[in-house]
Amino acid sequence: MFKKCNSFYAYSLTNVLRLCYKLLKETKNKNMDILSSLAIIALAALIHASFQLSVSVLTLLSGHSIVAKHSQAKVLRLTSSFVFGVGVMTVLLLSFLSLIFLDAFNGQTPDIAWAMVCGLLVGVSLAVWLFYYRRQSGTSLWIPRPIASYLNERTKATTHSAEAFSLGLSSVISELVFIIAPLAVSALVLIQLPAVWQLAGIGIYTVISMLSLVVIWVLIGGGHKLSAIQKWRESNKYFMQFAAGAGLLILGFFTYVTEVIGRSIGGL
Amino acid sequence: MGLAVDIVKHDGNRDSEQFSREKLHKSIVAACLSVRTPVGQAEAIASAVAASVIAWLEDKPEVTSQDLRVVTSKHLHSHHPDAAYMYEQYRITI
Repeated sequence: MFKKCNSFYAYSLTNVLRLCYKLLKETKNKNMDILSSLAIIALAALIHASFQLSVSVLTLLSGHSIVAKHSQAKVLRLTSSFVFGVGVMTVLLLSFLSLIFLDAFNGQTPDIAWAMVCGLLVGVSLAVWLFYYRRQSGTSLWIPRPIASYLNERTKATTHSAEAFSLGLSSVISELVFIIAPLAVSALVLIQLPAVWQLAGIGIYTVISMLSLVVIWVLIGGGHKLSAIQKWRESNKYFMQFAAGAGLLILGFFTYVTEVIGRSIGGL
Repeated sequence: MGLAVDIVKHDGNRDSEQFSREKLHKSIVAACLSVRTPVGQAEAIASAVAASVIAWLEDKPEVTSQDLRVVTSKHLHSHHPDAAYMYEQYRITI
């Protein structure tokens, strides 16, 4: 009787231990999934941050504000509104894309969608390497010239915070042809996360994608010369172009390996 | 006395226009102010540069806006290199 009882307890203990081990493993895998998802989002945001249209518009906006003899406080107000506008549009675009993907795939993204986004990442990376900057001095970008002229004129005409905010919104839209790839991969990753982590992911993407803009904003606010900022941007433009293209290529390859090949061979 | 020089726009799609000293002066002042030069100094530099550009224009019936920009930038560079840089960058930032 005693022997039977002992073996029953030993059996139960083994089962409990097995269960604990299984739970621990699942939690660890889940945490790893969340971590690697956030890492993909962070890398995509970093690539987004290396795109330069918003930085160019901010440089021009502050130049025009200084020329119009606005006080430093007003220059800061205008540039802050611009940066805020860029942030709001980034959040809106990422949320909008996530909503579309969530609606289309219901949380179960098919391999073909991952493969298409990976193709988009590789395509945009080649486009960035070949076309991002125009082959002339300065920091002119390969965006349609009417859009560039429009942004140029609008920066000159901007005198109120609301206009600067709208300019921030417009500048993100104008660069959509390049930022669509990191946005799309982040949206696909986001819809696989639990709800709380989705919010965290959107926050992480927005903050990291605005880092370069915030640095320029702080420099301008600190009274740095625009010529020094523009000279740095011009002398490092090919490095930024290479970094953005390489980042997109690496992200495309990594996403393809983990989400398409990894799933098809039984889950990496 | 105004100069009768036609400025041919660089994109070729727009009509040429008469040279305006005020317009040139204003653009040079703007370039100087954008690098936080004091207003008085910016005005003095603009007057000196505009005078040099007008001297260059005197025997020419027409010039392109691109040539005008290059010559202005060259003269401005000797007074204020940073302002000259911003003057050159105006149309090629975006």
